[in-house]
Amino acid sequence: MAGTLSVDQLHRKMSQDESVFILDVRNPEDYSEWKIEGHNVQSLNIPYFDFLDEDEALYKDLPKNTEIVVVCAKGGSSEMVADMLEEKGYQVKSLAEGMRGWSQLYVPVTISVDEHMKLVQFNRLAKGCLSYMVISEGSALVVDPGRNIEEYINVAKQENVKIAHIMDTHLHADHISGGIDLAKQTGATYYISSGEMQGSNESFEPLEKHRHVQFGAVDVEVLAMPTPGHTPGSTSFVINRKFLLSGDTIFVGGLGRPDLGGKAQEWALTLYETVFKKVADLPDDVLVLPTHYADIKEINERGYVGATLGEIRRSNEIMRTTDIRKFTERVVSAIGDTPPNYERIVGVNRGTEHVTDQEAMELEIGPNRCAVHHQ
Amino acid sequence: MEADIFVDAKGLSCPMPIVKAKKAIEGLESGQIMQLESTDKGSLNDFQSWVKRTNNELVKVEEDNDVFRFFVKKG
Repeated sequence: MAGTLSVDQLHRKMSQDESVFILDVRNPEDYSEWKIEGHNVQSLNIPYFDFLDEDEALYKDLPKNTEIVVVCAKGGSSEMVADMLEEKGYQVKSLAEGMRGWSQLYVPVTISVDEHMKLVQFNRLAKGCLSYMVISEGSALVVDPGRNIEEYINVAKQENVKIAHIMDTHLHADHISGGIDLAKQTGATYYISSGEMQGSNESFEPLEKHRHVQFGAVDVEVLAMPTPGHTPGSTSFVINRKFLLSGDTIFVGGLGRPDLGGKAQEWALTLYETVFKKVADLPDDVLVLPTHYADIKEINERGYVGATLGEIRRSNEIMRTTDIRKFTERVVSAIGDTPPNYERIVGVNRGTEHVTDQEAMELEIGPNRCAVHHQ
Repeated sequence: MEADIFVDAKGLSCPMPIVKAKKAIEGLESGQIMQLESTDKGSLNDFQSWVKRTNNELVKVEEDNDVFRFFVKKG
């Protein structure tokens, strides 16, 4: 029997700059839509059912002297193929839990630390989702937590801090928020714009009433700045005037899509106001930390996703397109596929629809589609 | 639809529904129909992809009460 590799072990292998060879045995449609990527990852797709035929030609591109990691959707087919390869003399491991397991992996990276504050970015690699923890004097603020809330609870334990505040920049449409659950587990306050939660029975603090949240050391200033456009209630957080947690408003590679409410033109106009009136006042050296990224190339050499406003202004033409007609035309035309299941996901995040853990996992499986490139 | 062979793969998870389908269809003549029932959600995509690559034809898929019923005509 070939052995298995956990998603943590795979990630460790990838981050040690070892070259990693992945044999993905899902069907080609699923593979082309969503796969494991990394700077040093080489991957090949041969569906598991092809291996049921004794066809030697299948094996010709598989390396004999490198460990092969076999990946499928849930870890069943990859085990079968790994066993077949092992019998033929390959060094091989099967990825336990497959892409389902991979989608649950969160990697915390420290962005900044000084005597007052520590800022950590959690990168959910498979989904391109980012969330944040701001730590100061024994308490923590979590921004845009994903569904797997034990990740934040564990880091808070390691840091010996209490999670006191939880904020969602907006009502997410592509992944399920852990905000409400994390608040229930920890007793923290959950904040979101009330415009995003119409029809919800869940309890939350309306962000519009808390423009400044005092938190931890007196030197940590959290400014909630309305930045509508991706959704009408989208809010960004400016921390100590140095970091802009921008939600889905501004990405390293572009702007948030304005179409998920069915009013693309109207929301694009508010996105214009946000970019050229609100964000325009912030200086070039503010570090933008978004909630999503679209490409692993956006992970910088320090291991996190983020760029200064200056860099983003220089590299994205859309940030300089001041002609309002051209701007709305461009943000509306760059829209790609809508996130699958987004209406149901919005319902779950608003608390109007309830799903089991298993259903939640299935609803949000797949790549991220909220980050659109406007190059 | 009249099937020439019936395969019960209910309760089995990937890769077993396709493994069973492959074995069963090997015993059929070209043009004959296999009916397979599965409860694995992933088998919906996998069947579509598998028939394409094996020159068989997915004639019909039915879904009721979380059971997928596939009718595959041997190519």
